[in-house]
Amino acid sequence: MLRYIATRLLLWIPSVLLVMLAVYAMAFYGAGDPIKLIFLRAPGDVAYNPERIEAIREAAGLNRPFLLQFGSYVLNLVQGQFGNSLTSGRSVWAMVSAAAPVSFKLGLCAIVLTAVVAIPLGMIAAMNQNTKIDYWILGSALFLWAIPAYVAGPLLMVLLILVLPGGVPYGWGGVFDVRILLPLLVLSFQPIALIVRQTRAAVIEILSEDFVRTARAKGVPEMVVAFRHILRPVLTPVVTQLGLIMITIVNGAIFVELVFGLPGLGRLTVSALTNSDYPVILAITLIGSFLVMLSNLLVDVLYPLLDPRANDTMKSR
Amino acid sequence: MAPANLTAFVDEDPPVSLWRDAWHRLFRNKLAVAGLVIVIFLALVAMFGPWLTPYDFLTQNLEVRNQAPSLAHLFGTDDLGRDVLSRVIYGTRTAFVVAIVVTTVAVAIGVALGAIAGYYGGLLDRTIMWFTDMTMSVPNLLLVVVINASLKTPVTAWMEAQYQATLNPFYRQTVWVDFLLVFGSMALISWPPYARLVRAQVLSIRGRPYVTAARALGLTNRLIIMRYIVPNAVGPLIVSVSAGLGTAMVLESAFSFLGVGVNPPTPSWGNMISDGLRVWQHYPHLLAAPAAVLGLATVAFSFLGDGLNDALNPRGSK
Repeated sequence: MLRYIATRLLLWIPSVLLVMLAVYAMAFYGAGDPIKLIFLRAPGDVAYNPERIEAIREAAGLNRPFLLQFGSYVLNLVQGQFGNSLTSGRSVWAMVSAAAPVSFKLGLCAIVLTAVVAIPLGMIAAMNQNTKIDYWILGSALFLWAIPAYVAGPLLMVLLILVLPGGVPYGWGGVFDVRILLPLLVLSFQPIALIVRQTRAAVIEILSEDFVRTARAKGVPEMVVAFRHILRPVLTPVVTQLGLIMITIVNGAIFVELVFGLPGLGRLTVSALTNSDYPVILAITLIGSFLVMLSNLLVDVLYPLLDPRANDTMKSR
Repeated sequence: MAPANLTAFVDEDPPVSLWRDAWHRLFRNKLAVAGLVIVIFLALVAMFGPWLTPYDFLTQNLEVRNQAPSLAHLFGTDDLGRDVLSRVIYGTRTAFVVAIVVTTVAVAIGVALGAIAGYYGGLLDRTIMWFTDMTMSVPNLLLVVVINASLKTPVTAWMEAQYQATLNPFYRQTVWVDFLLVFGSMALISWPPYARLVRAQVLSIRGRPYVTAARALGLTNRLIIMRYIVPNAVGPLIVSVSAGLGTAMVLESAFSFLGVGVNPPTPSWGNMISDGLRVWQHYPHLLAAPAAVLGLATVAFSFLGDGLNDALNPRGSK
């Protein structure tokens, strides 16, 4: 078991490095010379002086080969140095660490909400397969899956403004503030849809297993069957979706934060994007990919713990 | 080469029944039929857009700014007095062009890589799949943002160089830069699911008894691939393409919404939603019209994809 985890970890590190290399290379070759970019942004009185630029390039180590520059970028990254923003000149690390808590709290709440809402709904749908209840749950899930967050958000706001006289909650006040409800709901729509469908499919498969039939034949109450015999094996395929949920949430957060005015990483992405602020875009992309890859690693490590049958195949690898 | 009489024997077996079966199953599914009807309708609107628009989508008429929907302007007018219905129709064209081009390129890359990985196996397979998994593990919106940002300079420079060389004003149109950027960056992130799917299909079909039987009968590799592997792999691919078209439309409007996709004045549902979002308290129709059409399109593709899945993979859903 320990060896399995160690192998996963050893395979994981080069993957992370390669993703970093790819993303860095794209920004490196595509964005062009960062010093020139800073000069182009500077107010009018700064003269565009090629010699001075060359001197700054040399001092900043920008004339070194690509791989050396990438290496020092990674080394700085490990020490929490993401460079400086091209627009504001502030440290990217400071900008990111100011915005990250908002996004992380929102994302974590969305994951919890998804688990609490979607797994029971999926089970209910599967245990009432091909009835009205099932069709409604499945249809709504398909519907929610298809509606992008930047469409669902505004439309919900329009609906709410007709119901609530006091105006629509807007802004950020922490996890225990009423204003989190709407963005949280919109952010959770797609993950909920995903997990409902996943859970339903998994439960339907398990319902045809012998041990479920035996339990029912023994006269075990349906609720006990659901909780004791079905829930546990169902959790395994559902947990493996964590990486995909992470991607949906990272993507969704960009729009949700924009629409509802939350000061998180998503809004930082959009402003960096409109200003072509490459160091910020690079940092956020790396953080997002890191989170997704971390979730995938977590699933890999958890999988044999959840499903002991998988242990044998893992060991033989 | 297989003996002639064997080939003739295989030919007598009518392979159409599978498709006819699937067709019947699809038509029994009401949601899927509704999805299909909406998709066909939108495709026709996109195709015949220029003949359907009541007004020109760029003509500004400042006398009728921000009008609510009326008989003259069914979806109302925007802040420059442009007809929203005409812009939505042209947005449909944008969405379909992007979705079709991007999906075609992504499927081509995905099928080629997936088939190579599945067929040859070994180190090549592991390398390709490692690459695929990594592409999938970067949140696609962020990845496309990076690709888009880094493609912009070279593509613009290339277009300018082409213009200098040929003096053809075609290369000066920023619309084409936008489209090239969107096509390129979206295709580069959309191929991994197809590669995975095709690889899994090739792997599973290669070991099926009927393939072994065909091999034992002495059929050539080519005949086996054409008659057994391709028809059985196409079903799941069709399902995934139909879902992929919807995803591509959402992605395009997402980029245009963020301002990195199709830029105004070229209409796209995404940039119309983004414009509408600024004024929705006063003129909700500017947000509602493109948002509703985008929602309709994605829901239709999703229902159609789900119905196709049930129709083409009957074993998976009882």
